[in-house]
Amino acid sequence: MSQGFGKSERVNLSTAEILLACGDLQGLNILCEMFAGFGVNAPRRCQSLVECKAVVQERAINLMVIDSALSDAEGYEFISWLRRAELDPNSFAPVILLTGHTRPSQVFRGRDAGASFVVAKPAAPAVMMQRIIWLMNDQRKFVSSPGYCGPDRRVKALGPPVGMKGRRHDDLSAEVGIAKTPNLEQNEIDALFNPKAVA
Amino acid sequence: MTSPARTFAVENKLGKIAREPGGRRPEDAIRAAEGKVEGLRGSSTASLVEKAEQMGALAAKGRAENDSSAFDGIYDISNAIYGLAGAFGLTALAEAAFSLCDLTDHFRTGAPASWPAIDVHVDGIRLLASLGEKAGAAGAESILDGLRRVRNRVLPA
Repeated sequence: MSQGFGKSERVNLSTAEILLACGDLQGLNILCEMFAGFGVNAPRRCQSLVECKAVVQERAINLMVIDSALSDAEGYEFISWLRRAELDPNSFAPVILLTGHTRPSQVFRGRDAGASFVVAKPAAPAVMMQRIIWLMNDQRKFVSSPGYCGPDRRVKALGPPVGMKGRRHDDLSAEVGIAKTPNLEQNEIDALFNPKAVA
Repeated sequence: MTSPARTFAVENKLGKIAREPGGRRPEDAIRAAEGKVEGLRGSSTASLVEKAEQMGALAAKGRAENDSSAFDGIYDISNAIYGLAGAFGLTALAEAAFSLCDLTDHFRTGAPASWPAIDVHVDGIRLLASLGEKAGAAGAESILDGLRRVRNRVLPA
């Protein structure tokens, strides 16, 4: 998980614009204290869907942490709206969805709403920091389709499922074509594994 | 035929900003965050007791009026208790709250309501919330055992 970060490297969130949203005031206070510990200055605090919408329409946000339970709606609703709201850059910003009790019907709802990450409670600071570091290194493309709008849900580049034709224009076929150049000789292969200095 | 998905690259601004000079080492940031969260333990424990009492009142009213719409409110409070209790390692309280979320969610989606099952959970949660960290020594496991049996009897496997 800690891709790209060694012991001497640092995370600077002091100038990042962060939106933290939770319907429960005490839960929101916990999130704010956690992010204060991460070095975040004055995050945007929201308890409701209405407040979240107002904030993202007003300023550019670099990271959003949205609880699935807002005071007037579910967090999923906000994320789905955001992804299709065409608010550049906020519609493409990373969103971490925090879930508490999850009904069976909601297991995939966060992912399908377009969250970058779904984190189940209790979310310890170590888990949250891991996810932030992961998102800092996230190179996933954004997908916009009639059924889904958000970061590519295929975290691993394994291609389409076995036996299925990919739906993306850049999905490669599982069929391996006929070689267009001659095979390498054994000494050429050996040379790849034993590079020698050239005078 | 469905229209194809459009994929495009987006700039990772979070990564760019977070790599600016300064900041904290991840392990230092985690330690600082843990300290800050720990500073809220007192107010959160008080809030848990308050929420449990609020939930008790809501359940009593719902039972008296046989009002199934009370399940929404009970679910929301129980879900909040689950999140708070988990954040401070109050695992027994978190499990009891999660179990009540399962029950209320089951009842509010049309299953016949069992108010005694709700009551026993609400009472257990109130007790565990008031005991706080002493719950383990005070026999939390036997409370949870009772709640698990109630839950298993009411909810389909």
